[in-house]
Amino acid sequence: MKAVGARVPRYDGIAHATGRTVFVDDVRIPGTLWVKAFRSPVHNAMMTNLDTSKAEAMKGVHVITSESVPLLEYGHLSALGIPADEPLLAKDEVRYLGQPIAVVAAPSEEAAMAAVAAITADFEEQPALFDVRKAFDADAPVIHDKGNWYTHFEDEMDRRQIRKGNIEEAFDRADLIVQGVYRPAAIEHAPIETQVCQVVPEANGRLTIYSCTQALYFSMGVVAAHLQLPLNKLKVVGGTVGGGFGGKVDTATETMCALLAQKSGKPVKWRWTREEEFLCSSTRAPWHMEVADAVTKDGWILGRKMLTLHDAGAYSRFSPYGLTKHSFHHTGAYSIPNLEFNGYVVYTNRTPTTAMRGFGVTSVSFATETHMSRIALELGIDPFELRLKNANRIGDTSPNQIPYTDPSTVPTILAIADAVGHDLTPEYAGMTPAPRSGDLLPEHLVGQLGNPEAH
Amino acid sequence: MAVKTGRGFAAIEYPTGMNQNGDPSQAWIKVKPDGRIDVFAGTSDIGNGSKTIQSQIVAETIGVPYEWITYDNSNTDSSPVCTGTFASRATFVAGKAVEKAAENVRQKILEIAGKELEIDPSDLEIIDGEVIAKGAPQKKISVPDVAAAATWGYGELITGTGAQLKPYATIVEPETGKVDLPPHSAISYASCAAEVEVDDETGTVTVTRLWQCYDVGKAINPTLVEGQIEGGAVQGLGLGILENCYPYYPSVEHRGGQFGAYLVPGMVDLPQIDTLIIENPSSDGPYGAKGIGEMANNAQPPAIATAVFDAVGVWVTELPITPERVLRALQEKAAGGGAPKRDGKTVIFDSNLSVNTVGTGIAFGAAA
Repeated sequence: MKAVGARVPRYDGIAHATGRTVFVDDVRIPGTLWVKAFRSPVHNAMMTNLDTSKAEAMKGVHVITSESVPLLEYGHLSALGIPADEPLLAKDEVRYLGQPIAVVAAPSEEAAMAAVAAITADFEEQPALFDVRKAFDADAPVIHDKGNWYTHFEDEMDRRQIRKGNIEEAFDRADLIVQGVYRPAAIEHAPIETQVCQVVPEANGRLTIYSCTQALYFSMGVVAAHLQLPLNKLKVVGGTVGGGFGGKVDTATETMCALLAQKSGKPVKWRWTREEEFLCSSTRAPWHMEVADAVTKDGWILGRKMLTLHDAGAYSRFSPYGLTKHSFHHTGAYSIPNLEFNGYVVYTNRTPTTAMRGFGVTSVSFATETHMSRIALELGIDPFELRLKNANRIGDTSPNQIPYTDPSTVPTILAIADAVGHDLTPEYAGMTPAPRSGDLLPEHLVGQLGNPEAH
Repeated sequence: MAVKTGRGFAAIEYPTGMNQNGDPSQAWIKVKPDGRIDVFAGTSDIGNGSKTIQSQIVAETIGVPYEWITYDNSNTDSSPVCTGTFASRATFVAGKAVEKAAENVRQKILEIAGKELEIDPSDLEIIDGEVIAKGAPQKKISVPDVAAAATWGYGELITGTGAQLKPYATIVEPETGKVDLPPHSAISYASCAAEVEVDDETGTVTVTRLWQCYDVGKAINPTLVEGQIEGGAVQGLGLGILENCYPYYPSVEHRGGQFGAYLVPGMVDLPQIDTLIIENPSSDGPYGAKGIGEMANNAQPPAIATAVFDAVGVWVTELPITPERVLRALQEKAAGGGAPKRDGKTVIFDSNLSVNTVGTGIAFGAAA
């Protein structure tokens, strides 16, 4: 029997369907302490007089704050040279509602909640920023030391740029310029399994971390960096996740639980409530995108200008990566030879955003495909034919000037046209992704061609 | 007042593996004395089915039944590095690592079988758990017998490792975004048509049908990839018409803190979904596979937004397309508003939403 291509049953299907799969929350370790967090009650504030003494005086209660963390700031993408900007636990200021400030471990869930209730701090509220469109205004509140947007792209540029061809010439030559604004919303990952973690301090000095992470080694690296430990001191146990969709790349609980396990010498467990999952866990980012396309009356897209404001929330996390990926795909499945893309990772006082299914591209697909529909209507051109005409083909080049080797834009469009019974003229119905020639190689596309054999 | 129908269409692409690459996955495999196969990989299964897919790849590559595979991704002591389950990489990148490890195991089995059969290993193949001489199928030895011979006869452990890493693509021109290497692996492609009903009295949008076509490279497991595509469609429907953490974005007020106050699609929201699969193999994925896990929720929102316009003649380009937004747009249109601004050859939609209207520190424009 061939295994590849076969409809074999899921490896873990029966266990999932009969409730016998062991997820992190099913792990039972005797003597485990419960973990709860003292979180910021405000959106943006200077914090003083953090006092955990009453909580620490409670029987069996252990507390960690920013002072307990060997390396307080470690960026999700430090390994890629993206500087850390988020403390594991807030130190002197808080930048979003629900930001963790202190975390307690106690013999019961009730005792942990009582300990959190005994923690106090003073918050001097500052004006908060929520609208990315106003982040650049002269009178906008400045919510980060270095400003309201990320400034560490290559060569310390403060935005991600794409430039290709001659954008001004494209707009001069256009018969029509279509401009629009697209704003997909922040989305909660909404996994059935909320963020959950159990850490056991072993007799040999190691920490066993039961984790719902989507990335065992990535999360182990994050814990090791914050705790300044070599990897042989940690064992991450997981690999079976009750829904992630991108939100469980964040290592939301593991590091704090590891610190509490070290401090207490006891197993600790933190299972976020549904409310914490909705209000404190990271979300898919809301995006603000503006698109202007220069088109000819017969449906060629000569050029695209685009401005993207990526609402990162309070800290960078994976957002610079997401925006870069977004920029690399801002022409969608088409060949657009002249480009001017500017994108900013903008900070606001909302829950930090993170990866989610389609990261960086879901947004741009919505913007540019809705825009393509508008262009088709403005020009009075069949929406399938407009797309087929501009579809990327073998040898066309990407926004980064890399040739496409084997694009399937044309066959997937033709398949759907056929499925919905949409009639195409023979010229389009017979189209293939073959390299451009003849009518499909107008003068404006000649200069953008590359050699697919080179890759 | 009436329920009106409309159709919209979208075509998308999505890269496989991390943008700019540089994301390793590794695997190792050992063979038990009875020929059963233990696979160790660090790939979390987030419901995407990677335990199944990677087990299928190992079974196929070695040439043994799927049921012989035990897959262990349970911990970092026994499993090697996997960068993680994201970026549509679990099949494409991590699957390639297990394929390479399995190929090394296959070679080791052939070597030992060659000694047992006194045939050059290059003249042997493994089919359904048996090592068979090419062109002389009566000359054969079972994989269990090979494993037993390795263990008890030759004193060897049959094992194999594999790793997949595509080098990091550096942006060599920050001004233009030019890169030194392809920043993507196999790009996947998809198209989607949506059919909606819009009630112009209540503003309610109902997605009644979705037609979807995905180029998956190779469907390692057609059932699972169909599940990814249909599950993604439902998530895309949520993006399009239901879900929003901040109902009054950019305000942070009135966030929903429970499922009762945050609408994810339920079974009642599901349209008829027609899924078409194209297999245009990738050059560097296992068995030609590409990764389509993430893109599966990208095509529906623009198709739905376009279908809503087709139905009732208003564009809602802030997601989700809620009844409130539809009704406000219909009201604006009835009052003679909402049309794009036309100036010479320029048509400007949505100017009320633009940075040019709302902000003062940044501008965007066709003529800028």
